[in-house]
Formats: sequence, C-alpha cells, structure tokens
Amino acid sequence: MTTVAPEPAGAIRRPRRPIVRAGGFHWAVWAFVVVSVLGPFVPLIYSSFRDRPLYEAGGAFTLEPYRHVLGDSAFWHAALNTLQYAAFTTVLAVVFGAIVAILVMRTDLPGRRAFGALVLLPLLLPALGIIVGWIEIWGPGGYLTGWLREHLHVKTLPLDTIFGMSVVEAVRLLPVAYLTCRAALARADSSLEDAARSAGAGPLRVVRSITVPMLRPALLNSATLIFTLALASLGIPLLLGTPNNIQMISTYLYNNWTNASSPDPPFVSAGAVLLLLVATAMLVLRNRLLGAEERFVSVGGRGARQALLPLGLWRWPLAIAVSLYLIFGVVIPVLGLALTSIVSVLTPLLPPWELLTWSNWTALKEGEFRTAIENSAIISLVGAVLTTIVVTLATLVAHRSRFRLRRTLPFVMLYPRATPGIIIGIGFFWAYLVTGAAGDWLRGSIWGIMVAFCVRNLPFAYIVMYPTMARIGEELDRAARSVGASWWRTSRSIVLPLLRPAIFISFSIMFIEILNDYDPAVFLVKPGTDVMGTTMLSQFQQGFVGQVAALAMVQVAVTAVVLAVSSRLFKIGALGGRSDA
Amino acid sequence: MPEIHVEGLVKQFDENTALDDVSFKVPDGKLFTLLGPSGCGKSTTLLSIAGFHTPERGRIAAGDDVFYDSARGINVAAEQRNLGIVFQSYAVWPHMTVYENLAFPLKIRRLKRKEIRERITRTLELVEMGDYARRYPHQLSGGQQQRVALARALVYSPSMLLLDEPFSNLDAKLRERARSWVKELQHTLGLTTIFVTHDQDEALSMSDSIAVMDRGVVQQIGVPEEIYRHPANRFVAEFVGRVNLIEGIVSSVDGTSVLVDIGGAGLKVDTVPSTTPTTSTPVTVAVRPEAVTVAPNGARPNGPNAFEARVHAVSFLGDHYEYELELGRLTLAAQSRARVPGATVEVRIPPEACSLVS
Repeated sequence: MTTVAPEPAGAIRRPRRPIVRAGGFHWAVWAFVVVSVLGPFVPLIYSSFRDRPLYEAGGAFTLEPYRHVLGDSAFWHAALNTLQYAAFTTVLAVVFGAIVAILVMRTDLPGRRAFGALVLLPLLLPALGIIVGWIEIWGPGGYLTGWLREHLHVKTLPLDTIFGMSVVEAVRLLPVAYLTCRAALARADSSLEDAARSAGAGPLRVVRSITVPMLRPALLNSATLIFTLALASLGIPLLLGTPNNIQMISTYLYNNWTNASSPDPPFVSAGAVLLLLVATAMLVLRNRLLGAEERFVSVGGRGARQALLPLGLWRWPLAIAVSLYLIFGVVIPVLGLALTSIVSVLTPLLPPWELLTWSNWTALKEGEFRTAIENSAIISLVGAVLTTIVVTLATLVAHRSRFRLRRTLPFVMLYPRATPGIIIGIGFFWAYLVTGAAGDWLRGSIWGIMVAFCVRNLPFAYIVMYPTMARIGEELDRAARSVGASWWRTSRSIVLPLLRPAIFISFSIMFIEILNDYDPAVFLVKPGTDVMGTTMLSQFQQGFVGQVAALAMVQVAVTAVVLAVSSRLFKIGALGGRSDA
Repeated sequence: MPEIHVEGLVKQFDENTALDDVSFKVPDGKLFTLLGPSGCGKSTTLLSIAGFHTPERGRIAAGDDVFYDSARGINVAAEQRNLGIVFQSYAVWPHMTVYENLAFPLKIRRLKRKEIRERITRTLELVEMGDYARRYPHQLSGGQQQRVALARALVYSPSMLLLDEPFSNLDAKLRERARSWVKELQHTLGLTTIFVTHDQDEALSMSDSIAVMDRGVVQQIGVPEEIYRHPANRFVAEFVGRVNLIEGIVSSVDGTSVLVDIGGAGLKVDTVPSTTPTTSTPVTVAVRPEAVTVAPNGARPNGPNAFEARVHAVSFLGDHYEYELELGRLTLAAQSRARVPGATVEVRIPPEACSLVS
C-alpha cells in the first residue's frame, strides 16, 4: 500500500435529522392495515347479538340469532354436508398435490419443468369461469356427459353430488398442496435421500421412508388450509349443489340472505360468526403446525444439487397421469367455456358447428355486461395498485423496522386468507352501514366492492412480497443506517429497489385475483355496481350460459396474458411464494 | 478523533443476559478488539455502539458526543452517530455500482457533486480499487467487495470505524493479506477502531489492545502480549491459544513467586495475581506448550522446574514437533523445533512462563 496522506479527513457536515419521524408513519401503516382487515368483523359480531338489523332504529342485546341458527335443522344438515365436502376435497387435493410435487421435484419425470409451472394454472384461472366450464362439459346436462351416455352408454361421475363437487374443488385446490410440498422439498436437503439410496433403499422405498415423512408438516399445513378454503367455498356448492338441493353452510347463508321471504340479517350474521370461529380455529391450528415445521427443516440443504430418483418404466405413464390432471383442470373447462361462448346452446344432440353464433360476444358490448367489464377493469387496476402500495409499506414496517407492534402485522395480513369470502362480504356490508356518509358512498359505488376484494386478496400480495424481503440481508439496511440514512431513506434507496420484482409480481397477482373474485361481492352489489363475477353468477342462475361463458373467457384471456407477461419478465417461480400461505 | 467510552452496558435477550456490565475505553486512534466465542456478546456490544441494539443500561460516548446514556435517557439514532461500519457480509448494495455505493453517504450529507467525486476518487485509491468505480458488486470478488465496504465506511470521514468480523468470509491466504492491509490503513488514517472477531490470531496480530469476552462479561483487557502470556483466568488462557492447565496446591509463598505442589513435585510460578494466594490453597497454573522446553533424557537442564517425562505421542507439524508428555499423573503438551529421541525426556517449565489463573 502506498502511504498517501491520511485522507479522507476533514470533518464534513453530519446528516440532518429527518423532519418527519418514522415512528408516526409506522403507526399510521399499522393502524390502516389492522382497521381494514379486522374492522369489518366488529359490526359483524355486533350485529349477530342484536334483535333486529342495524339499519333499524332501536334494538337490544340478544342471543336469539344464535338460538335461531343452532335450532335450525337445515343449518345442521348443511353443516354435515360441508364437513363431508371439505374432508373429501382435502384428502384428494393433498394426496395428489403431494404426489405431483414429489414427481416434479424429485424424479426424472419427462417435462417436469413445464409441469411445475402449468400445475399452478387451475388455482390462478378464474374460479367461477372454470366451474361454469366444468358444468357445461361434465355437469348433469353437460356436453361430454350426454355424448358419452348416448354413444358409449358410459355413466360419468355425477358432479352434482357431494363427492362430485369435492372432486371439482380438489382439482382447483390441488396447487395449494403442491406449492406447500414443493417449498418443503426445495428446502429439504436431497442428500438425505441420497444417503438412503447408498444404504440400499430402492427409489420407492426412499420416497416412502424418507421423502414422505419429511413432507409431513407440509401435508398437515396444506390440509388445514385446503379444509378451510373448502369449508367456505361458495361457487361450486351454489352452481352445482343448489340445483340438486344440496345445501352447504355457504349456500345456506347466501340463500337466507338473498332469497328468504323475510330477510333476517342478525341470524345470517350469527351463522357467519360461527363459520368465522371455525376458520379462525383452523388458522390457529395451522400456526402451531408451522411452528413445528421449523424442526423438520434440514440444515445446509439450500442450493444442494437436486438428485433425481429414476422412475424407470413409470416415467411415461406418470407423465400422462399429470397431463390428465391438466386436461381436467385446465383444458376441458377452458375448451368448454370457449365452445359455450360461440354457440347458441351447447348440446350433445346437435353438432356445435350448426349452432355457431357471435351473439354471446356481441352482448358483452352493451348493457350490464359492459358495465360489469368496465367496473371490473377499474377496480382491478386501482385495487391492485393500492393493495400493492399498502402491502409493500406494511411489509417494510413488519420486517424492516423496530416498530413495537411489527410482529402482529404478518398475522393480520395473512388472516383474510383463512377468512371465508362471504364473511368478508357480510362484514363489509355492516361496516359500510355503520360508518355514516363515507360508508354510504362506498356502499353505493364500486369502491366498496373494491375495498372488500382488496382486503380479501391482500394475503397473496404479502405472500409474494415476504420471501423476497427475507432474502434482502438485514446488514444492507444497517449499512445504510450507519452511513447516515434515515429509516425512510433506507427503505426508498436500498430496500424498495431490491424489492422491485416482488412488487411487480404482487401487482400482477392482485390484478388477477381482484378481476376473478366474486364471493365477497355478492352481499355488496347494487344495480350499476356489478362486477364480472357477480354478473356471471346472477346470469348463470337465470340461464344465460353463453354470455356467462364469454365473460369467463374474457377473464381467462386477461389472466393468461398477465401471467405470461409477468412470468416472462420475472421468473414464474416467484409465484411459488404463495406456497407459504 | 475522539476516545470511545463504553460504561456498564447491560442487555437482556428474553431471559438471557447478553451483556453484563461491559465497560472499556478505546484511546484516540487505537485499534481495539473484542475477542470471544460466538454468543459471547462481542457483536451485541458492537451493534449497541452502532445503534442497532439498545442496551437496558449503561453509557456509550465518543469524546463529548454521548450516543447512549440510560441515566439521562439519551439514545441517538444509528444514522445520527456518524460512524463507519463494515459488516461480516460486507453489505455492499447490490443494485448500485461501486461509485454509487460510495456516493450514497455523501449525498445524504448534501455534498456538492464535485466534492463527492473527489472524495470517492481519493478513497477508492486509498483501498486500491480506483479502477472499479463503475462495476457492480456481483462483478467483484469477496476481497474486492470487502475493500468497497471499507471505502464506503471511510468516505464520509466518520468519527470511528467498527469492523464486525470482516475477514471471516475470506479464504485463509487472502485473510492474512487483508489483515495486515487493514491494520496498516487504520494506522495511517489514525482512525479509532473497534474490531470484533472470534479468531485469536487476528486479534493478536492486529490489535493495540484486546478485550476477551465470554457470556456477556469482559474477562480481561490488555495488550496482546499480556493477554497471551498472562491470561487472567482459565477462560482467557484456553481461548487465546493452546495452554497446559496444571492443578496444584500452594506449598510456599516467597515474595513475588510461589511454589505449587503438583502431585509430589514442586512447580515454581513467577507470575502471581495481585492478591497472592495463601499456603495450601488449590490453584491452577497456566503454561503455553511452546514455553515448555524438551531435551534428551539425562541432558540435565539447569534451573528450577526441570522434570523427567514419558513421551506419549509425537506429531510432526511442519515447523515444529508437538509432544504429548506424561508427567506422573499429569499430561503436558510441549513443542520442540527438533526431534528429541527416546521414550523419556527432560522437560523444563520456565517459572516466568507460568501464570496462576482463577
């Protein structure tokens, strides 16, 4: 080293103290998130203990709503159905999701990379549209159902039974189990499996004795989440179950709210509170399991070479089996929608090309369809921007500050994931009702629906954001603080630029989720504030299947474009962040 | 450059006491090292000085500049302390070029563009990275990133420099070079520096003085030679280099030296703590293996503390031989440059190399 003069010397001005203290900002972000997420539950719970709806003057404390629900045999019947439905769905989705994860992560399955990404599609595509597609092809009056019965005298699995519905639900929710298991397998050191093979175990034995036991926490974790999601699912029970007189808790609440001759909101609130209790209990259980999962994380496994278990003769049969899942989960419903949208009626009795028409598509250009598309576009765009901003700030406060209550934020942000959409809808209905002029304005406009959608889907933004945030080493922040940057300057100049890919993906995911969501809105829509989801639901029930299919195709197309763009710009693997949900 | 005063730091993590009454003073322009095993509280101390941990009690000041004082309720934010820190991971911001990394602290201090450029050029030359200003961190090796991290910590003329295990991610060869280089740079700039490490070689070779820490308590503070040759206690003796610990009972005290009975034989010890032990108390004697001399049997070494020992094992370590000896019931490690033949040897333990430790 050359002996230069003892430079740099000469004291320079110290950094100035920031004008605005970060503390106040942390409080503001925390309060905003907590009030948005937990706020709606206060009036919901309150209304369930009143003897008349909140919009009527007077009223007193009573347990009558709960007595009413618990004394209703229809409620218990629906509860029993729901339990069976959720149990079937959970078993199917978890077992097959885990198998797909093992095949993709640990074997030499042909096309495993492509499968790894495509398997996510059933979860990302618009739920309501996919259900409609299934019904049109495979439902009781579906095209393929009828065709097979006429020509081959084959009886297909009836979808309008509890088991049939749970198969559809399981196809949709399988990716949840897949993602959780995939994340667990990516974390686990594959040399554990290599060691078993060196010890003389065959591939199947390795999977049975090493891989599956390692996955146990992931299996339990995804099972509780899938169970909770199935418990509160509205679309499938409403479109498939209700016509066949099978009631679930969600449809029981929905039908009592919309169709009953004497609407009795306090008792629906009471039912919603009971469902919320169950969902919350499942969330608490899951947090316990997640704690247990830490113990199973093998040390030093990161970046380890993923060794492959050879499938041998089973390579191609298993690849075909996974393809079949994609055919059932994606190709059939999307084809069904596409076909339904361009014919006047889809029936096995007549060949579709004799019934071709563009009228379903031209109908979208006017009236309520046009309004719904416009409304959906606006709230998806604005909602995705707002949610991404709020979640980015909240994630910064939660993981990059010394704010006293920061540790509560992740729980609050993940809570809506375990909360049934219909309960969020009812909650916001009451919340808008009791908050005066601002509430009235939200209630009468599309923004009220947007807020409910944003809160409901906010966990996705956080789940995408968090892993990236966790990978940004804390010493990078500390280095910035030590050279004189304030909390806000550090966030702006260091953390946010490094977070940019996650921010973009979170925006795309929020855009898709808000565009395709429907169930929180069913309690909030008014004439003129319909969004695509609610329009599809009401039009389908009135029998306008062709237009509904065209509308669903719009959702499918937009979803596909957004996914393609974001996976091209950033690795789609980042969507795997959803796994930790 | 100011003196750094750390007084009576106490910090709890949950139930565990991370820092227990940690106090030391770093004189102007000196390099002070916090040495200890992981979890001893050295990094917690450093991060408390930097402002990333808040202790429960104590006082931290640089000259008249009080950073933290629990009694007066002072706790200056990390970004207001104006000190430079180099982290174990270097923490060079990956989305900024080397130049931008160095410009960031200067922009915060609202320097003029010209002055920013001058300072960066000067500092990069100082760390011999002048040609790398436009590179991104991922285009640099570990050693280069470390230089950038150091340059970034120096570019705004901080009042002190903190180094948190900066060499632990370098490979052995590079580490030695970086060590002497950093020491030289620190000396040239005359920057008061606190250095955290778990590596005793690093601590001994670089420091003006060392504080050895264990379980949140400062065990001994002293210059490297003192720490090595006269460890205050068992922990320091064992942590800083290899040591023979010999248990015995004081048989007589004579001014500044004591005679310790080690199972029949007498061992003369010259280095005694200020509170001289009384006769017939049990004590531990520490002596470094390289201080023990080994000679062929019958060579009849002169002076006290000469014993006959049986050779249990010998290993060759390149520049010396390592002996494992049996001295009655005792086992004793010794080093010798030459191979001493025979199953029994003569050993001598110089009294001045022996210390009584608590």
